[in-house]
Amino acid sequence: MNERSQYKNRIELLQGTLDMLILQTLQWGPQHGYGIVQALRLRSGDLLQVETGSLYPALHRLERQSWVQSEWKQSESKQKARYYRITAKGKKQLASDLGRWERIVEAIGSVVYVKPEESES
Amino acid sequence: MKWFPSFGFQRRKRELQEEIDAHLQMAIADRVARGETAETARQEAAREFGNIPLVQDVTRDMWGQAWLEQLGRDVRYALRQLRKSPGFSITATAMLAVAICANSTVFSWIDGTMLRPIPGARDTGDLVSLQRGERNFSPTPPFSYLDYRDLREQNHTFAGILAYHHDWITLTGGAQPERAYISNVSANYFDVLGIKPVLGRFFLPEEESRPVPHVVLSYSLWKTRYAEDPAIVGKSIEIARHPVTVIGVAPEGVVGAMPGIREDLWVTLDPLGTDVWRMTHRSGGAVWLNVIGRLRPGVSRGQAAQDLDTVMHNIVAAFPDDHLGDNRITLDPMWRSPFGANGYMAATLPILLAFAAVVLLLTCANVATLTLVRFVSRRRELAIRQSLGANRIQLVRQMVLEGVVLSIVAGAVALVLTSWTSKTFAWFFPANSNPLILNGSMDHKVVIGIAVSSLLVGMLCGALPAWRSSHAPAVEVLKAESASISGGSRNRKLLSGLVVAQIALSLPLLLCSGLFLRTLRNLAGANPGFEQDHILTATVGLNIAGYSHNEEQVIRHKILDRVSALPGVKVASLTDWIPMTLSHKGEDAYPEGYVPHPHESLKVAHAEVSPRYFESLHIPILEGREFTPDDDEKAPRVLIVDQTAARRYWPGQDPLGKELRVWGRLFTVVGVVRNSTHTFVNESPEPMVYMSFFQAGYETMVQVETEGNPVDLAPAVQNAIHEIDTRLPVFDVRSMRESTQMASSFAVIQSTLAGMFALIGLVLAITGIYGVVAYRTQLRTHEIGIRMALGASRVDVLRLVLLQGFWLTGIGLALGLVFALGLTRIIVRLLYGIGANDPVTVVSVVMLLGAMSLLACYLPAHRAMRRNPVTAIREL
Repeated sequence: MNERSQYKNRIELLQGTLDMLILQTLQWGPQHGYGIVQALRLRSGDLLQVETGSLYPALHRLERQSWVQSEWKQSESKQKARYYRITAKGKKQLASDLGRWERIVEAIGSVVYVKPEESES
Repeated sequence: MKWFPSFGFQRRKRELQEEIDAHLQMAIADRVARGETAETARQEAAREFGNIPLVQDVTRDMWGQAWLEQLGRDVRYALRQLRKSPGFSITATAMLAVAICANSTVFSWIDGTMLRPIPGARDTGDLVSLQRGERNFSPTPPFSYLDYRDLREQNHTFAGILAYHHDWITLTGGAQPERAYISNVSANYFDVLGIKPVLGRFFLPEEESRPVPHVVLSYSLWKTRYAEDPAIVGKSIEIARHPVTVIGVAPEGVVGAMPGIREDLWVTLDPLGTDVWRMTHRSGGAVWLNVIGRLRPGVSRGQAAQDLDTVMHNIVAAFPDDHLGDNRITLDPMWRSPFGANGYMAATLPILLAFAAVVLLLTCANVATLTLVRFVSRRRELAIRQSLGANRIQLVRQMVLEGVVLSIVAGAVALVLTSWTSKTFAWFFPANSNPLILNGSMDHKVVIGIAVSSLLVGMLCGALPAWRSSHAPAVEVLKAESASISGGSRNRKLLSGLVVAQIALSLPLLLCSGLFLRTLRNLAGANPGFEQDHILTATVGLNIAGYSHNEEQVIRHKILDRVSALPGVKVASLTDWIPMTLSHKGEDAYPEGYVPHPHESLKVAHAEVSPRYFESLHIPILEGREFTPDDDEKAPRVLIVDQTAARRYWPGQDPLGKELRVWGRLFTVVGVVRNSTHTFVNESPEPMVYMSFFQAGYETMVQVETEGNPVDLAPAVQNAIHEIDTRLPVFDVRSMRESTQMASSFAVIQSTLAGMFALIGLVLAITGIYGVVAYRTQLRTHEIGIRMALGASRVDVLRLVLLQGFWLTGIGLALGLVFALGLTRIIVRLLYGIGANDPVTVVSVVMLLGAMSLLACYLPAHRAMRRNPVTAIREL
């Protein structure tokens, strides 16, 4: 029971952010769940490690919201896998998520990196 | 896929499994490519992935279908639990089924009568029944044709107003004349009701008041008498020896506009041109139509009544002599229309439904008691489940579901039962001359009602105990085995509350049924003021068989002569009305020299009776004389009044010789008779005038006082009449006793059902208190053992156990008494010869319930007293 609610909390914390990262990853082309995990790890320099317990619920939720579509395909290594593809609706969502993200970064930045002279006065 | 969501669910589950497998395979492949051994790669990939079932679980939550899967699991679990305790399951199901059936039966009767006042008609909610003057039970038709036409043409609030006159007639032309029920109707009759013909057409506006011998047949008459002849339209049939042409057939199920009364054929208002007088006058015998209107959309009943009152006011102003007395117009929705059967239904059935609802509540309390007792003993199981991770909502849901499963099964059983009991309504009505078609109906409304009530019951029965039980802290329950010794104070309070509720609910049921039973006894024992034994009556369809008036008078005299001469006949007389058969003849009467108060109704009941009528019914003549054979058409008009009429119109004066104007004619009072019952034993007395049969008689009924059993004489009387003319139709030959049963049929319905409900209530309350006291005593076995070991006597133990039962009973009785005395107020109108708070009934009912509950407590107390203290202490 505890483990389960941990997963849930993490989804909630990362919600929005994780959705954005997944959608952004899919911008570069259709990908399966394992591929998304690898891609996020590579691009973040091993900093972002997405839990499967967060990833799969997120993917299935995004599909239910029609932001992504899925189909079964053969991978390069002849492995049958479920590929997710971003939809037009998903792209719109991604754009608004990115916009919001930038505003948050900006806002946090302006709070955290206060100019020294102002803080002295 | 939509119909079988679980198939889609299984497919998606499989796909998720494959998706995760693919993930792992790819992870393993990558690791192997990096140089790890196959074995470590597999282990590492699995470790990295995490808890697979849990990932599946949280992913599935996203599908929004998880509740379905869980529900399936919970239902299976509930079924397993219920199977484990068959005693509880069967008892609870049976009780719930009976309680739901009680409700749905009464509701099906309401549905079949009040909610379905005019079968086949469109939007009956927009229809209102019009009444002029005093609003009472079974009024006579209130409108003349001319008044009706003015109301129809001058109102602004109705989409249409129809008029009809219900009567009976004989279908001749066959070997034997056959009685049929017929209505003279306005041309727009079927239009206003919204009914289309299955064959031919209905009446045209220009046919309304012109003599056109056209007839519309009901579907059932067309089917039974004319073998569904598809070419019936245009054919000529014979009604009362007159040829008429069939122009159409009404759809199946259509029985006319009078609720609960069947009509077989419909003709226009004056099909033969013989009723011109009736069509061109506004008072007296020309007041003969019942009127029903369809409100325009958006118009309220109040607005419509005001509108009609204005029109009526103008009519009264223009024709004041034709409209003496009360002319205010009242509108009733069809479910309680005073014309037809619904007036009676509306006074009885809703009250019975309220009783049935109390039974249902009582049953809920009882089943909740049983459930609670069961859950308390299941506390360990619940605690274990809770500590394994079930949250409270899940536990409550689980327990409520058990209640719902029980009540759905009970609902299904009740459905089967009700499909039979709904048809039993007709049993309550003895054979009578009215074409009653009263029956319960089992349609979707009833089925939905059953489903909803059973679901509600399930919730009620399960939710309360479940919520309580789930409050128990898991650790406490698991730790202390002995915590169950007294069952926890919270549950004890709830149990006590439920027992008190059961006693409090069953007391009003018992009290009401006691009052109804005594009412029934009083009605049966009441003296109606006339002789009911040794009287035989038979109706001769003379006026409807197509004889001329002179022929009729001759035949009537012949009937009287022949029947009087029969051996075993003491007195024979003729009448056109039989008391206490729900039939009622009313007329406006204007006493000479009497100034009515404004809006005072001048309606009197009347009957036309031949010489020796009062003698055969043993109604004493108080003043003046009885009718003689000389009071015929050539003699001056005379009448006999009853005491009520004499006191009302000529208080303190000698009524003999006074004059009364009826139908525009003056009648002289020649006698006063003692009051007797007209319709119901408990009616408020209404003035009654008797006219001489040979001056004003309409229908012909033979009334015979016999020496022996009246029914034995029936064949002889029938033969005597047929000897005069074999084609004379004779109907409704039965004893006065049988006929007058009609008047108490509603009292019989009330007391039968109230009695059954009270019996159910009593059994439930007694088993409830027994169950709780027995259960609690059992939990205290250990304690009782210690007490006895320490020196408590058996009497002490007995007192200990009895005392708690005593308290519960006492509080229940006190609360129940308050509730009951409130409830009896709504039935006070239905009682006769007994007050709503009759002390004898109240005391005996309280004693009965109290004694039964104490007996129920005594049994477990006695058992506890007999226990061996040593074994009792060992027992936990």
